[in-house]
Amino acid sequence: MAKFITIGERIHCISPAIRDAMNNRDPEPILQRAKEQIDSGATYLDVNIGPAESTGIELMKWAVRLIQDNFNNHPLCLDTSNKKAIEAGLSVYNPIRGKAIINSADAGDRLDNIDLAAANGAICIALCSKSGVPSDNDERMACCQEMLEHGMELGMEPEDLWFDPLFLVIKGMQDKQLEVLEFIKMCSDMGFNTTGGLSNVSNGMPKNVRPIIDSAMVSMAMMNGLTSAIVNPCDRRLMETIKSCDIIRGETLYADSYLEI
Amino acid sequence: MSFEAKPVVYGASIGEVTIGTGDLSLTIGGANISPLCFFEAPQKHPPAIGIEVSDLPFDTQGLPLLAALYEGCSDMAERVARAASVKGASFVCLRFESADPGGLNRSVADCVADAVKAAAASPLPIVIIGCKNSEKDTALFTAMAEALQGKNYLFLSAREEDYKAISAGVAMAYGHNVGAESSVDINLAKQLSVLMTQLGVRRDLIVLNPGSAAAGYGYEYVASTMDRIRAAALEQNDTMLQMPVITPVSTETWAVKESIISGDEMPEWGEREPRAIQMEIVTASACLASGSDAVIVRHPVSVEKLAALIAALL
Repeated sequence: MAKFITIGERIHCISPAIRDAMNNRDPEPILQRAKEQIDSGATYLDVNIGPAESTGIELMKWAVRLIQDNFNNHPLCLDTSNKKAIEAGLSVYNPIRGKAIINSADAGDRLDNIDLAAANGAICIALCSKSGVPSDNDERMACCQEMLEHGMELGMEPEDLWFDPLFLVIKGMQDKQLEVLEFIKMCSDMGFNTTGGLSNVSNGMPKNVRPIIDSAMVSMAMMNGLTSAIVNPCDRRLMETIKSCDIIRGETLYADSYLEI
Repeated sequence: MSFEAKPVVYGASIGEVTIGTGDLSLTIGGANISPLCFFEAPQKHPPAIGIEVSDLPFDTQGLPLLAALYEGCSDMAERVARAASVKGASFVCLRFESADPGGLNRSVADCVADAVKAAAASPLPIVIIGCKNSEKDTALFTAMAEALQGKNYLFLSAREEDYKAISAGVAMAYGHNVGAESSVDINLAKQLSVLMTQLGVRRDLIVLNPGSAAAGYGYEYVASTMDRIRAAALEQNDTMLQMPVITPVSTETWAVKESIISGDEMPEWGEREPRAIQMEIVTASACLASGSDAVIVRHPVSVEKLAALIAALL
């Protein structure tokens, strides 16, 4: 294991400001969100352009160049269901500070995103599902094995597949939470990297509660070996929890100023 | 199946710090392998050995070899010239014992004058050690840093209680290197490095001085601290601990009974000089094995033997 990796989720076309910026190729709102996430300590930045079927290729290239040129080639996670757009993004991506992450493959229709990662020396987030929410951990593990085999056949290192257990919303799926944690432990015991959209768990909860639930979830998940998560790095409580868990896990050496670095 | 050696070379590496300028300079650090494991990968800067010279004459009773080295010298500058001639020495360490308010309490101005003269007499880069009194060292270091500006020397050290004044007066104002001293406390070592960089000291001017102890006097804490510092730097890529490490060994070993008591007093221990040299070599080589990029010793035989040890392993 190593220090926990945070993937900042705030460059997402679902936000009206970002959607407009992407449509108008207006750099400022995107650079601003990139900066605040990097300043908050995000290891990677997710760049979600949505499906962007007609404009994805140009848009992803523009976004990757924009962020990497302005932030010393900060590592990125390319997030779209448009494969051509991911390919285009990878073609201009500079991996000097970290391999690109493809977000994401699954064991169903999107299996071939693993091919894209293998061909481009990228990391691939591998959703442990074929379609929709897996019914139990047997299904998750079957998907995990399938994707692992596929990746290894293509010459990938297992460490470059980051398995996503699918964090589930507590309001409605409270009874599934321990199962997700258990799956993270199974992956961790096999030495696999894991990640996922952490804030799913607190979806629909009051604004003041979300950071508390997210922080509790991340610490329990880190205890079980979670190696990364897609998070809002501007959530200070969450980031402080992650740094504290890294201290307790021994991934980074304690110093009184550990929250500031 | 035949054994296939896989070199253990880390992705991270220790930063480099240069002491002195131009032809008169020494660069330490840069390691990306475990200490002394030169068979893993060639290293640009093998560990350096420094020789200590005090502004007060050393006690040389029962130490004929040490006495011979400095025979006829009347001041620090003359002793520095002799010390620099010892085979294997890469830098000279000036120690200002006389400044100690609990001892001779010599004035800052007098010590600065000595430092300038001694530095001029040295064909090797200079490291400066104070008198271990925080207030006096701060005054001493800032005055010396000004008088020796442009020389790029290394001052040992800034501590938790005086790092602000020393960092500002030595590194930030005059561009000298500064040691970050944490007495065998790994968390403090990191914290001090964080505080100094937050203050604005350039990372390539900081050398870690995580402290030492003579072998047999709690040295195992030193070893475990240094091992963990190097592990954090190389395995966890902890940038706050990726500065080179310097260990003043002589200030520890020459203060313990094994190095002080005469052969007459303790005949079963044998003569004083070989014993004191052994204490110094044993402690210094242990420090090198735990990741010191530079060690400071006093005896010319220690300098030669340690330099030979490194050369043999290269």
